[in-house]
Amino acid sequence: MSIEVPVKTAGMTQPDTAAPAKEAPHPVAMQVKGLNFYYGTSHALHDISLDFPERSVTGMIGPSGCGKSTLLRVLNRMYDLYPGQRATGEVIFDKQNILNSGVDLNVLRSRIGMVFQKPTPFPMSIYDNIAFGIRLHERVSRSEMDGRVEDALRRVALWPEVQDRLSASATALSGGQQQRLCIARTIAVRPEVILLDEPTSALDPVSTARIEELLDELKTEFTIAIVTHNMQQAARCADQVAFFYMGRLIEVDSTARMFTTPREQQTQDYITGRFG
Amino acid sequence: MGNEPAHTITRYDQELDRLRGIVARMGGLVERQTAQAITAVVNQNEEAALEPPELDPEVDALEREAEMLAIRILALRAPMAVDLRVIVAVLKMSGDLERIGDYASSIARRAGKVEVLDGAISFSALRAMARLVQENLHMAVESMVENDAERAQEVWKADTAVDELYTTMFRELVTYMMEDPRKIGPCIHLLFVAKNLERIGDHATNIAERVYYAVTGEMLPSVRPRGGAARTNIEQPE
Repeated sequence: MSIEVPVKTAGMTQPDTAAPAKEAPHPVAMQVKGLNFYYGTSHALHDISLDFPERSVTGMIGPSGCGKSTLLRVLNRMYDLYPGQRATGEVIFDKQNILNSGVDLNVLRSRIGMVFQKPTPFPMSIYDNIAFGIRLHERVSRSEMDGRVEDALRRVALWPEVQDRLSASATALSGGQQQRLCIARTIAVRPEVILLDEPTSALDPVSTARIEELLDELKTEFTIAIVTHNMQQAARCADQVAFFYMGRLIEVDSTARMFTTPREQQTQDYITGRFG
Repeated sequence: MGNEPAHTITRYDQELDRLRGIVARMGGLVERQTAQAITAVVNQNEEAALEPPELDPEVDALEREAEMLAIRILALRAPMAVDLRVIVAVLKMSGDLERIGDYASSIARRAGKVEVLDGAISFSALRAMARLVQENLHMAVESMVENDAERAQEVWKADTAVDELYTTMFRELVTYMMEDPRKIGPCIHLLFVAKNLERIGDHATNIAERVYYAVTGEMLPSVRPRGGAARTNIEQPE
């Protein structure tokens, strides 16, 4: 095994032998540089540097507690909601370090949306679930709102299933439908980046496949970061995959390369099921 | 490959071990077939000629077994990285090994038909070629069993000499046939023997390439240093 290869860090979208040649690498939408994160005194992320290429899917994998979800929560300052949590280093988004204290978090979270593991529909109608987020950030006419809601629901392929019952409660939808609704709610505010934290772990295989198909479509427009425990899902959805272990980024590379010829022994042990 | 830590799922390791065991057994069998076929021709040993075709059904059965097990593992375990590379390598190597067995049988069947040439033409080029092919096959099988990428690379380089010897034999036999057309039949059989040996060498090289990929994750260059420079001087069927 090739061991002596240094850990890949930021900006590594090199050509590789395992994947067919692609067009020019996408520009970087979001760049993490020398990021450290602490839960109180516990050092959860160690010196992470990672690029998220624009309009592509970055998969984040690793065993429980490796820091992948923590990183995702840093990317839209979700950690600010909890006392005692702090980050150092840089997360550059639109030429700005979003870790700076002056950043408007409401604006930031409208530009960097997040979808969680369990579907989190608001206890209101399907229509209002989508409209709610839009109203927070924009003032739009009723007819424009109708259009935005329909558009968002169409984009997640939920429209045909709910168009006749937009005023029904969102909580009556199935788990898979609820998760697609949550994604619709996220994209309705027209973010640039979508963060997904194990978005299908509570869903059946058919709903999972629908969401994966959806990601493939959404990536033509959005930059996507997805945390997943499902290696096959990372293999199916992601363009690049980052492997985390014990708060460190061990390796990041194109998905094809990661799953056929990872450079690091730890990556190999994890993805082949030889861990612990 | 075999030097990795154990999988969390023990059964998975057992299945991969079984898969490796099947191709290792195939390797041993086709080495035996090749050795006996060569003895049959070079030493005109009729008894040795019987063995390669007899072993063929077993080799074929092992190839099918390897294929079924590999498909099963692919379907049920979703192998990744080194495991995936090994399984794909095994699928291809078992095909190579099966072909080697066929070529060895074909050589053995021709042993009686080249008898008349014994003494008339020197078998020295054939002997040299047979020795090299056997060595390469042995090294290829060993590299496969021991996951030895370095040895695999040696096999890959060494095949050039086999190609060169084949070209020498080809020229020698063409000359002999022109001198004595009554010997064309036996000469063609001997030419097939040489060609089959050369093919065995090629499959040994293929095996070495698979081993190298499975172990390192890198492909050897698609173009091997080729021998047989004299080919350009003689019209030679491929």
